[in-house]
Parts: sequence; C-alpha cells; structure tokens
Amino acid sequence: MAAPRRILFHWSFLLVAALIPLIELVLPGHPHVGDLLRPIFIMAMLGLGLNILTGFTGQLNLGVAAFMAVGAYTYAILTCDIYPFRLGFWSATALTVLVGLTVGLFLGLPTIRLRGDYLAIVTLGFGEIVEDVLKNLDSITKGTQGINPLPSPSWFGYHFRAETYQPWYYLFLGFLAVLVLLNRNLQRSRVGRAWISIREDELASSCMGVNPMKMKLLAFALGAAQCSLAGALWASYLGSSGEPGNYDFQVSIIALCIVIVGGMGNVGGVLLGALVIMGFNSIVLETVTNFLKAHQLISSSNVFTAPGNWKYMLYGLALILMMRFRPEGLLPSRQFKAEAHPDEPHSPPTA
Amino acid sequence: MNILEISDLTVRFGGLTAVNAVSLDIPVKEIVSIIGPNGAGKTTLFNAITGIYDPTSGRICFNGEEARRPFRRTTALALALVGLIAGLSLVLIVNVEPLWDTSITSNYVYQQTFLWSNATHAASSYFREETGRRFAIPFLIGALVGLAGAFAIWQRTRRAPEVAARAGIARTFQNIRLFNQMTALDNVLLGMDSQLRTRVWHVALRLPLYWRERDNTVRQAMDILRFVDLDREAQQLAENLSYGHQRRLEIARALAMQPRLLLLDEPAAGMNLAESQELMKLIHDIRDRGITVLLIEHHMQVVMGISDRIAVLDHGEKIAEGNPEAVRSNPKVIEAYLGKS
Repeated sequence: MAAPRRILFHWSFLLVAALIPLIELVLPGHPHVGDLLRPIFIMAMLGLGLNILTGFTGQLNLGVAAFMAVGAYTYAILTCDIYPFRLGFWSATALTVLVGLTVGLFLGLPTIRLRGDYLAIVTLGFGEIVEDVLKNLDSITKGTQGINPLPSPSWFGYHFRAETYQPWYYLFLGFLAVLVLLNRNLQRSRVGRAWISIREDELASSCMGVNPMKMKLLAFALGAAQCSLAGALWASYLGSSGEPGNYDFQVSIIALCIVIVGGMGNVGGVLLGALVIMGFNSIVLETVTNFLKAHQLISSSNVFTAPGNWKYMLYGLALILMMRFRPEGLLPSRQFKAEAHPDEPHSPPTA
Repeated sequence: MNILEISDLTVRFGGLTAVNAVSLDIPVKEIVSIIGPNGAGKTTLFNAITGIYDPTSGRICFNGEEARRPFRRTTALALALVGLIAGLSLVLIVNVEPLWDTSITSNYVYQQTFLWSNATHAASSYFREETGRRFAIPFLIGALVGLAGAFAIWQRTRRAPEVAARAGIARTFQNIRLFNQMTALDNVLLGMDSQLRTRVWHVALRLPLYWRERDNTVRQAMDILRFVDLDREAQQLAENLSYGHQRRLEIARALAMQPRLLLLDEPAAGMNLAESQELMKLIHDIRDRGITVLLIEHHMQVVMGISDRIAVLDHGEKIAEGNPEAVRSNPKVIEAYLGKS
C-alpha cells in the first residue's frame, strides 16, 4: 500500500525537523542549524499564504509583504508596553490572524473582478501603500524606528529568551506543521478543487456552479491571514516590529520565488522552496563568505567580491533558469491524489 | 410543459446584433437541436441562456422564472453592511492620528492600568467637536461609495453563470474547456460542487461531515464516469485524455451537476461515424434520465437522427422550427445553407 508509506514519509519529515536542534548536543561547536532554520520557517509560512492565492487560485499577488507587515505591526501594537493593550503572545497572535483575515477581505472586495496583470499591479500598489503608511503614521507606528522592545512569548509560565533558540524553534515548527496540515486539508477538498478550477478556467468553473468571487475572496482572506501570522511570529522573534522598510517589495518577490521555485500549488514544494531560497541566503552565502574571509581571498573593503551582495542577482538567475528548464517547480503538485483514493486511511499527513 | 422559454431575445455587441428577437420554447424531456451556418448566433444564444452574456432585451425563463439572483432581505442587509463598513473605514482613515492621540496616547501612562472608559469618552468627545467635518461628511461619502460599489457589483452579477448553473442548467463548450491539471474524477467532482454541504471549517478541520460527504461524492462521481464509460480513466489528468474521451468527460462533468437542462455545444465535432453513433446513444440515455437536451450541431446525421425538434438560426434570427422532416424540406433552410438558386 502506497498511502500509509506516504503518511509515514510525511511524519518522518516532522520527526527529522524535531530532532535537528539536538545535533549540537552530539556535535558541540557545530553551527546552530536549528537557529538558522527559524527565519526559514517564517518565510515558509509566508510562502504558504502566497501559495493559496497564486498557487491554488492563480491570482498573482505582488504585495504579500504588506500582509506580513500588517501582522508584525498589529502584533507589536498589541503586545508592546508603550501601548495600553499589553496582550500575551497567544491572544495577540490570534487577534493578529483575525486582523489579517479582515485586511485580506478589504483588499479583496474591490479588486476581486480584476484579473492577471491588473490584479498584480493593484497588489503591488497595496504593498507600497502599506509601507508608506507605516512610515508616516508616526504616532501609532513610531515611523521608521519600528516598535520595540516586544515582550517575549511565554507558555505555561515558561518565558522564551533570546539566548536559547530551541523553544522558538519548536514553537515555529509547531505553527508551521499546523499550517501545512490546514493547507493540505483545504487543497484536498471542495475548496481546493474550486480554487484550482478557477486557476484553470474561471468561466468553465462558474458554469459548473462555483462562485468565483466567493472563492477568490476566501483565498484572499486565508492567504492574508497566513501571511500576517508569519508577520506576527517574525515580530515576536525579532522582539520588534521591524522597520517599515523590512517589508518592502523584495520580501514579496522572495515569497514569490519560494512558491515558483518550490512548485506552484504544492504545499510540500513551498516548504522545499523556502528551504532552498532562504537556506541559500542564510546558510550557503554565509558559509561561503566566512570561508573566503578566513582564507583571505576577499577583503571586506571591496563590495564586489562579497557573495552576499550578489544574492538578488542569483535569485533572478535562479528564476530564469527555473522558467527555462523546470517551469513547474522543483516539486510540482500531483493534483489531489489523496482525494482521488477513497480507500486511503483517514489520518491526514503532516509537514 | 416548457422547461425553457426564450422570448424576443436580442443580444447586441456594439453595432453587431448576434441574436435578433429570437423566441424559442424547449419542452421538457425532449432533444432539441439548434442548427445554422457559422456565425448564426447559436453559441451566443447558449451563452445568454447560461448567463455568460446579458441579453440586450428579451427574457429567458427557466422553469417559469428568470435565472437571476433574487433581491432578498439578506441582499439589502449585505449592501447596507458594506456601506456602513465603508463609511466607518473612511471616518477612521481621515481621523486616525488625532483619534489615536486623544483616546489612547493621552490616556495611557507607561505601564499603568489603562481605562477603556476614558478612551471611549475621549473618542466620543473628539467626534462631538466638529462633527460634520470629522464624522458626518467622511461617513456619508464612504457609505455612498461603498453602497454604490456593492450595488453595482451585485447588479452586474445578477445573471452570472453560477446562478444559471445552480438553477439547473449545465453545459459543455464548443472548444473543450476541461480543467486540464485536474484528474477526470476531480473534474466530475467539481461539477458536483453545488450539491456539497461542507464549508471551509468542515474541510480545514476534517469534521465528520467531510468524511461522510467525501465517500458519498466519490462514489457518485465514479457512477457518472461509468455512465460515460470513463471509469478506467478516472485518475488520468484531463489533458492526457484522448479527444473523444475529453468530449465525454465534459458531458460527465455537466451531468454531475444534476441538471434539468443540458446544453451541448457541438458535441460531435471532430468525431468519426462510429464515435458519433456512440454519442447519439449517450444523448438518448441522458434524455431517458429525465434531462432535457438542447444541442448545437453541424453533423446533419446526428441532428436528424436524434432531434425531436430542430430550430434553425441564420444571421441571428430564427428562420425555421419544427420536426426534422419539416425543417429538412423548408425552402428558407435550404437557402440559408446552399444559397439562392
């Protein structure tokens, strides 16, 4: 039977991910892989949010960083003690997701009848507007300095601290696993089917009784909610809302790269995409730079020789090569195989 | 009894009149064909029936009523809600900074308890000064714009394809429009979408209703695939099916909607003799299930073989209607197809 083996395969991923922080117990002095994985988890969540919109429903969105910014700032305002709200981590996160949902709906409602490039332009504009608003709404968002410091999360009396990364790692891994589970459930159901049918042929889909406006609005709301969850976790991780410039167009493009490189419309592909793109950024480039510096092959005064400065060019190159040789992504989605096998056991796979 | 009554239907695109004052009644459980030369307006007629085009004038009654979204109390409520939210949002946007300062910032001393009553009090006194500029004008503008926008969208989507589809009109397309990246089974399952009762939360959290419904729907979908003899291809992606199979899958997808009326747009296009014989048998079987069939077709053998009635369109106008023999010998029809002698 193929199905139980696949579920085992998915769970083993989660198990491996859960064991990663233990590496340094065995190998002291080893670089903290778990530490480096945290931002990757956050970007994977952002990619999952964008995947609902662009991967499933086929609505190109170039402004997901704005949803992330909304999440980060909402979380910051709700938790920081320079404001009166001073909520805890869990209630603030829950509220942030609700706010993200609403913002997604608000952006979705007027733009829902736009298609393709036009929608992309509007979302691009939305991203810029949010960034500018955050910069200029000084009394609420503290302008370009961002909102900080934020209190660390706590769980059952245990306070997370910046020095020990393991609790954070498991927190983010847990959130990511839950999101992956929810996304897969949605994908393999009438909702995912309707989303994909809209991507394939909106007119035919509506002739089959699917209400495209409703389904697109749903995609907008859920996608935005996930992106703002990513933003809230990012803010809690930084201990600051970050400055508005942290949520600029480049972040949206990186999220898009993650979805495209990984495989549009495939949850597993998005995870792989996040690992490849972000891992390249924070692990490969870092290691190469350190190696080169250690061997005095580059000097820090020459900006052209630092590999980190080439990263956007390399992303662009990666996109072009992907489009040329593997446009379906590293892990293309096999549509709905699970839904199509009614004899499969009922426990859904994770991570 | 007529399941579909088209009266004086005109569809105009700019200066071009695609369908001109066509009246047509489709009796229940009959097979009716629409024929006519290319560009006669047959597909436009289909598109008007299924809500893709809005008729310029005339009425299309399905089951005695027009397939449009009705104006219910919930519609009015939703419109009012959108207007209210838009108005309040504009008020908030216009006043956000001073409002925040007076109600939140000035009432909060660092790490002291914050009294929400003070904040709301400050906010209300803020709006009591200069009520017109701060509240009334932005609220009115926002509410008007929101209401007008919501109403315009509602108005323009009153006769949407999904409304016709949910009323019970299913169709296939002249150039096959399957969901290529979905399996044959999923294509059929999508056709069943309007009968499903699960909601987002059911499927996201896998509540019991989801499991019950999934098993049922997959079984029904397989039955439909068996009916069109495609059950062995259920797991194939639609784009990998052969042309004939794609044609039949499109019919299966339409049947999955459990329609009362099925519109087939050139189902026999590109089929050889044996295949079109099979298709005729399939159409007969569909009619025997109690579904009225309206089809556009160019294969005269198919048309003459299965139609109970035939309507002939030319240049957007109906030039003849009747049983196959009458239409075949009608001089106007011969003229439209062969030209004047």
